[in-house]
Amino acid sequence: MYTCGIDIGSVSSEAVILQRDDLKKDDKNFSIIAYIISSTGGDSKEAAEKVLGNALNKAGLKREQIYTVTATGYGRINVPFADKNITEISCHARGVISYFPDIKTVIDIGGQDSKVIKLDSRGNPIDFLMNDKCAAGTGRFLEVMAKALEIDLSHFGEIFTKTSEKVDISSTCTVFAESEIVSLVGHGVDKNKIIKGLVYSISNRIISMVERIGLEEPVCITGGVAKNFAVVRALEELLSVKIYVPEEPQITGALGAALLA
Amino acid sequence: MSIIEKIKENLKVRIQNNLQRDYIRKILNIIGSKPLLLAYGATFSSQSDKYLNIVSIKNIKKSYNKKSPTAYGSLFLPYELFHSLEIVPFLPEVIAGFTGGLGITDRTLKEASSKWYTPDLCTFHRCASGAVELDLFPIPQFLICATLACDAAQKTFYIDAKKYGIEDNFYLVDVPYEKNSKSISYLAEQFKMISKDISTKLQKNLDFARLENTIKLSNEFRYWALKVNDLRKELSVYPKNFNGLNFIFPFHGLAGTKDAVILYKNIYRELKKLLDKQKNKKIKTDRIKRLLWLHLKPYYKNEIFTLLEKNNYILAFEEINYVYWPELDSENPFESLALKTLSHPLNGSAQNRVDMIMEIVKDYRIDGVVMFSHWGCRHSNGSGRIIKDSLKKIDIPTLILDGDCLNKNNSSSGQITTRLQGFMEIINSRF
Repeated sequence: MYTCGIDIGSVSSEAVILQRDDLKKDDKNFSIIAYIISSTGGDSKEAAEKVLGNALNKAGLKREQIYTVTATGYGRINVPFADKNITEISCHARGVISYFPDIKTVIDIGGQDSKVIKLDSRGNPIDFLMNDKCAAGTGRFLEVMAKALEIDLSHFGEIFTKTSEKVDISSTCTVFAESEIVSLVGHGVDKNKIIKGLVYSISNRIISMVERIGLEEPVCITGGVAKNFAVVRALEELLSVKIYVPEEPQITGALGAALLA
Repeated sequence: MSIIEKIKENLKVRIQNNLQRDYIRKILNIIGSKPLLLAYGATFSSQSDKYLNIVSIKNIKKSYNKKSPTAYGSLFLPYELFHSLEIVPFLPEVIAGFTGGLGITDRTLKEASSKWYTPDLCTFHRCASGAVELDLFPIPQFLICATLACDAAQKTFYIDAKKYGIEDNFYLVDVPYEKNSKSISYLAEQFKMISKDISTKLQKNLDFARLENTIKLSNEFRYWALKVNDLRKELSVYPKNFNGLNFIFPFHGLAGTKDAVILYKNIYRELKKLLDKQKNKKIKTDRIKRLLWLHLKPYYKNEIFTLLEKNNYILAFEEINYVYWPELDSENPFESLALKTLSHPLNGSAQNRVDMIMEIVKDYRIDGVVMFSHWGCRHSNGSGRIIKDSLKKIDIPTLILDGDCLNKNNSSSGQITTRLQGFMEIINSRF
């Protein structure tokens, strides 16, 4: 049978279609038939329809062949065709343990929010923390800064590795931090040092959440920002641990939703 | 929307459009007249809500009419003192909560902001100060506050006193950190002095017979409140719209009055009937999960309680309804009220609150604890870590839910829903 998970985030939406033998919560015998990542835009319902339609096309399936659809993410309640909705907290936890069964701490950094989830020995979430109303510590922060610096985000990893010094960014507010870096560039400060400072800035926000909830290894990172090599390295350095990254970290929530269907 | 709801909505809009003290007084006098008040009370689906609304309106109305002097009081004072002195208590922080329901907090907060009340001050106090600045609250003759929570009143009440030119009628009660005999004497002496001073200003003698009667009524209220709390240990179903977080005003402000006795007696009767039904297995309760709620709730329109209900969660208990004081002794009224004040779990070490929480968790068979972390409430939020750590040791999940009880713009409903739903998923996975 086929199940589908749809994760409607503030920036991107994902759909994952799985083929499964049964619907057991701890199902290990599943295969990913198709997945899609696309931008959410201004309409969550439209985004959900679009991402499901594209995933079905990719899988060569029809809607009626999907046994059940589970929605997650910020826009989960705006997916009218979903059979149920489950929070990102449970879905990311379930998605992660399908990649790495022993994970105890999940760091999820999405476009609009970031969260740290603590798992028990069976992979069930037992506690979590989410960022507050501020965008600092999320993917949006990095996007805004990359735009202000006119440097593509995909280059951050390479720049981070090659640059030894950093410039401290004192503002935590995204808007103020943007002004701060514009001013630093205006004063001729090396952009690479600014990027290194920005990566540490976002990482420190995450570290404070990890420390509050209590670090327990192994640690895994999910969400779009997990693709940013610079942030993963900075977090590893600051936490002094190895951080596992799923093959496609951005679909972890949708994968978990499809598994919890 | 029912006709009654339409009338209530219409009344709300009228108040929003006529934000003046005299207009509020007029409205309170109309809906507070006995026939209308009873008719209004009859619109509530539960007896508990009916009496809560009746006694609240009746007493707020008293504070707007000038028949007896009105005194502002901070939340955790022993209000038996006010009733024995025949001064009408008005609790600005609590009434600020009502302004949330009336949808006027944007106005009161804006006014407070324009008068230099810092945005990191608790919203209850900012709304109250804004309402005073806008001349919406009744004019006080006395202002009494305590160094015990909520301590922002120490400064804001003084500003209010200056506004009305009655600095001499501002009293600050210094509540000691430790609960011991020395503290009791020190605090009792302050209560005695304040009572004497107010009596002198009102050209009266301190009426000990009235004080004794107030103490008697307070004990009677305590008796019924304890009976309500006892039966809630087993109760898993509540009347529609019943929310234990709504009872903070009568629990404190009406202690020592007949109204509090009548209210709690009626709550008991209503809940007892439900408990009997539950015991006769006429109501299924096996899927219900029991939460303990710490601090207060948002007073503007929100999804929290609908979400809990939809998922079979109930507030099995709320810390604000915990009877924390021993029976009062009418032969030593001031000492007794001092002990009551010192016994409040927010006084002294954070461990006092933890001990109370542990007792409730055990007695009420709690599955999870939600601590609403209200913006600017240092007294409550400061204990977050020790509470979470202590509950973790006994394997009780705790959610520290950041938000704002009055300022909807300082709270993200999407984030609150996700946190609450995620928390329920954690609890559900244990069953």
